Amino acid sequence: MPPRHVRQRKLTKATLQQVLREDQIESAEYDSNHNHQHVETGVERHEENEYHLQAALASTGGGKASEEIPAPPAEKTVDINYDALYSLKFKKPATYIRVSYTVEEVTGCQYDMDSEDDTWLQAYNQGKSASQKLSEDDFEKIIEVFEDTTENHTPFAAVDNTLIPFETMSAQIKLRLPSKLLDIAEHVYGHWKDRKQASGNKSIQPGLKFEINKDDDDADPYVCFRRREVRQTRKTRARDVQSVDKLKKLRKELEEARQLVALTHSREVQKQTMMINEKAIFDQRYKVKVAKTKLGIKGDDEDFINQKPQKRKSEFPQPQRTAPGTQLRLPGRSDGRPLEADLILLSERLAEKENMLQKEIEEKTQQHRRWNQGHVDLTRDPLSPANGQGPETGFRPATAQYQYLMTPPSSVTSESFDHQSPAQEKQESFAFRYSSPPEEEPRGQPAYRRRIGRGGRLWIDRRGMSAIKNDENMSDRWKYDQDDEEEQPVYELDPHDTNALRFRATIPFPPHFYPQHGRQDNRPRAPGPPANIRAIAAVQNPAAPP
Amino acid sequence: MAGQEPAVGSPAPKQKGKATIDTLKIGCLAMVMKEGRTRRAEVLSIKETKSGRQFYCNFDNFNKRLDEWVPAARIDFEQEVEWPNPELPKEAKKAAAPVAKKTTVTKKSQKRPAATREASIISAESETPKWSDSMESQKATPDVEGEDKTALKLELERDAATPNYEDDDAMDGDETAIKAIKAKKELPDPPQSRAEEIEKLRVGGSMTQNQADISRIRNISKVQFGNYTLYPWYFSPYPESFTQEDLMYICEFCLCYYGDLKAFTRHRHKCAMQHPPGNEIYRDDYVSFFEIDGRRQRTWCRNLCLLSRMFLDHKSTYHDVDPFLFYVMTTRDEKGCHLVGYFSKEKESADGFNVACILTLPQFQRKGYGRLLIQFSYELSKIEGKLGSPEKPLSDLGLLSYRQYWTENLIEILLDFNEREDKVSIEALAAHLAMTPHDVESTLQALQMQIYHKGEHKIVLPMHLIKRHEMLKEKQKTKPKRVIDPARIQWKPPTFTAAQRTWGW
Repeated sequence: MPPRHVRQRKLTKATLQQVLREDQIESAEYDSNHNHQHVETGVERHEENEYHLQAALASTGGGKASEEIPAPPAEKTVDINYDALYSLKFKKPATYIRVSYTVEEVTGCQYDMDSEDDTWLQAYNQGKSASQKLSEDDFEKIIEVFEDTTENHTPFAAVDNTLIPFETMSAQIKLRLPSKLLDIAEHVYGHWKDRKQASGNKSIQPGLKFEINKDDDDADPYVCFRRREVRQTRKTRARDVQSVDKLKKLRKELEEARQLVALTHSREVQKQTMMINEKAIFDQRYKVKVAKTKLGIKGDDEDFINQKPQKRKSEFPQPQRTAPGTQLRLPGRSDGRPLEADLILLSERLAEKENMLQKEIEEKTQQHRRWNQGHVDLTRDPLSPANGQGPETGFRPATAQYQYLMTPPSSVTSESFDHQSPAQEKQESFAFRYSSPPEEEPRGQPAYRRRIGRGGRLWIDRRGMSAIKNDENMSDRWKYDQDDEEEQPVYELDPHDTNALRFRATIPFPPHFYPQHGRQDNRPRAPGPPANIRAIAAVQNPAAPP
Repeated sequence: MAGQEPAVGSPAPKQKGKATIDTLKIGCLAMVMKEGRTRRAEVLSIKETKSGRQFYCNFDNFNKRLDEWVPAARIDFEQEVEWPNPELPKEAKKAAAPVAKKTTVTKKSQKRPAATREASIISAESETPKWSDSMESQKATPDVEGEDKTALKLELERDAATPNYEDDDAMDGDETAIKAIKAKKELPDPPQSRAEEIEKLRVGGSMTQNQADISRIRNISKVQFGNYTLYPWYFSPYPESFTQEDLMYICEFCLCYYGDLKAFTRHRHKCAMQHPPGNEIYRDDYVSFFEIDGRRQRTWCRNLCLLSRMFLDHKSTYHDVDPFLFYVMTTRDEKGCHLVGYFSKEKESADGFNVACILTLPQFQRKGYGRLLIQFSYELSKIEGKLGSPEKPLSDLGLLSYRQYWTENLIEILLDFNEREDKVSIEALAAHLAMTPHDVESTLQALQMQIYHKGEHKIVLPMHLIKRHEMLKEKQKTKPKRVIDPARIQWKPPTFTAAQRTWGW
């Protein structure tokens, strides 16, 4: 047997082991690893051998009925009125409970009167009328104030045996309790004082023993819940660097604050010297005046009073000019140094003008909108711009010479189209909607617009060229319905719609109206332009979608 | 079995002699009637009652919770008593003896980092004895070098004098070899002096091994808690004046404590708490779990610790509750959520413990709640993606509960592997159950399941365990076992900033 022990391979945590039932293996064939081993239990050693524990362990290992470790039992209390003591009913909330209130917050008054207090209180209330009686709640509140005040004012009362006089207490009572309790409090004070002295000037309520002084405390098992010492943080390079950075920053901030204070100081000192100088000047002037009067020189009084403003005036040549900026100026800048902010820049002026123009335009737009407010559109598909009323910039009327040419003018870049000076903008006419559709539609006049699309593709939008009516509302209908191209076009018409009928009756048939609805225009269209604008890909990009 | 090994008192030879009721003093070892026969017991305290003098006795190899006040009639004065040794206070010797033993096997102890670390602490301590003679706790410290040597000498003497010591389970084979194995196994938790222990508790943990003498004696006799009367098992640092009371009252919901019925009634009149003051993180039709932060709910958590200290011998109340989270299990009824049990957990455990203290209140014990608590602690570890283990030392009941939980779960998995004829490693088992591999291994060892067969390590499932497992399964068909449903847990592992870690959570 012993040699086999030596030969055993080492068992590691990662070793894969076969799992067998006892009846799947011949017991004579193997060695148990435990014949002589003491299994670690984690129980303290001198308790490990305890009689009942050993019996219980033996029973679990041996398959006998498990033995229990005897323990003093708990019993149902018979002589207590549980329902009276625990009278509150509990309602289980539907969700998991989440609270953070502490014991102190839900137990009300922190003083609980005991039987000794009860005896005193009953004696005190003896023979008093119901209104004169001191309730248990009020009694506790008064004692609570006494105890709190003691703890706050004389935390070492138990050691130096000080007792707070009633005068101090009454001030606290006045602060915290209704005034009617003040008189009674004086009586309670006597009782409280007696109890306090009986308890060695400690808290009347029995409390835990906390650490007071280290020497006796350590061995006293009644002293509990000591503060744990602050744990040492591990010193690492990163932490060092962090600390250094923090200190540096702090130092810099302190230095800045110090400089600020120093500068403020010197400023105030200079102000003071200035005032002294001014006073000196004034004094000198006064002397001059006196001398003048003495000598009988009948000069103007101006040199006495007016001189200064005059001087000031010369210093500040344009006091009015600073007016718009006054609220922005620091009060300390009264030394007359002109501020950069006071300079009126050309760009500001221009911007101001531009703003004014913009405002005017907007106002007018608003006005027109107001005019058009009650307007009811009877047309099914308004021909004038329905969505955006904004100016349709960018379209240039094609002049006669270009009318039949496909190449649009290329001399103007799209940028210059987009960015126009405010002066030009003002002259731009608006396509305002009036109560009736405008007589002359721009469609008759061919126009072009060049723009740069996604991926740098150059687009030419033309207007007034196409004769194809492109119904905006219907176009979607055929978007994914290519198969039906051969089918008869479907007109969505409400046979009872008199509006359409009436409208139709009022207008002549457009000359370029062709009923080619089925034809789809898959190309991206310019955002917001009237329906008959078609966009075509420029020649530069043949790969553009058909 | 090591049942007969004297656990009470010093192994050193004692002066023996007959005693009378008047001469019997604290520290004496006498023969006292307990459970039908006389047993060796240490007298820890003496009090006078109307019916005569009573002695507080701690019995050999009986847990402290069975300590009791006995009248003189139960003490056998016919037999000699062992007198306490005046030079060497009992506790010191008790603690010192294993230290001496350790010196013979230091080489082996090096294998375990935990053991070496603690051993080095001991040696560092013993070089600089800093305890003043006036300190009471010095009794419990083996760190004065002279004392250490005496202890070693005593140990050797005793070994020579009683060659059969430890012989109970050393029936076969080389005696010294077995002794070495035993010693090695015992090493991972070498005894600590109170100073070291306090030092350790400063950094983390919640368990203590050394206690001052007063705390060896139960101080509260009876507790009224909710609808139950509890009989405390151990000392708890409730206000000292309560030791005079026959009955202490504890509010079931806020856990505040009262020695006076009037005060308790007044408190109940005002107290509006109906469930633990924290966030509910689990709810099924049977129980709810609440998570409570020791720092935010200091009063409540302190109250909970005081309460649980009455039933947990090794629970430390030395330090405050700030670095712990408390997971509280409750049952619901129309009055509120009643505390059933709880476990505490360090916000950041250096040793990877997923439970610090764990307790089912006595009135709810032996009903399967402990298993739910344990399962919940492992479910939280699974969410954290960590392997967990309870903090040591375990109590006897703690060990049994954990063993049961571990066994049931391991058997279930292993039977599954057996059916699939698949191989499994200890690591895989550990990962599956969020247990540490060490716990898996020790459970397999305890169940004697590890074997060596045809040049391979194998796991064998003993028939009695399979049978029991099948019986359990059968029983569960009619009466399903209560388990935690992980899907009902609404919980994210709490995170803490560096500043919180540094400045005490």
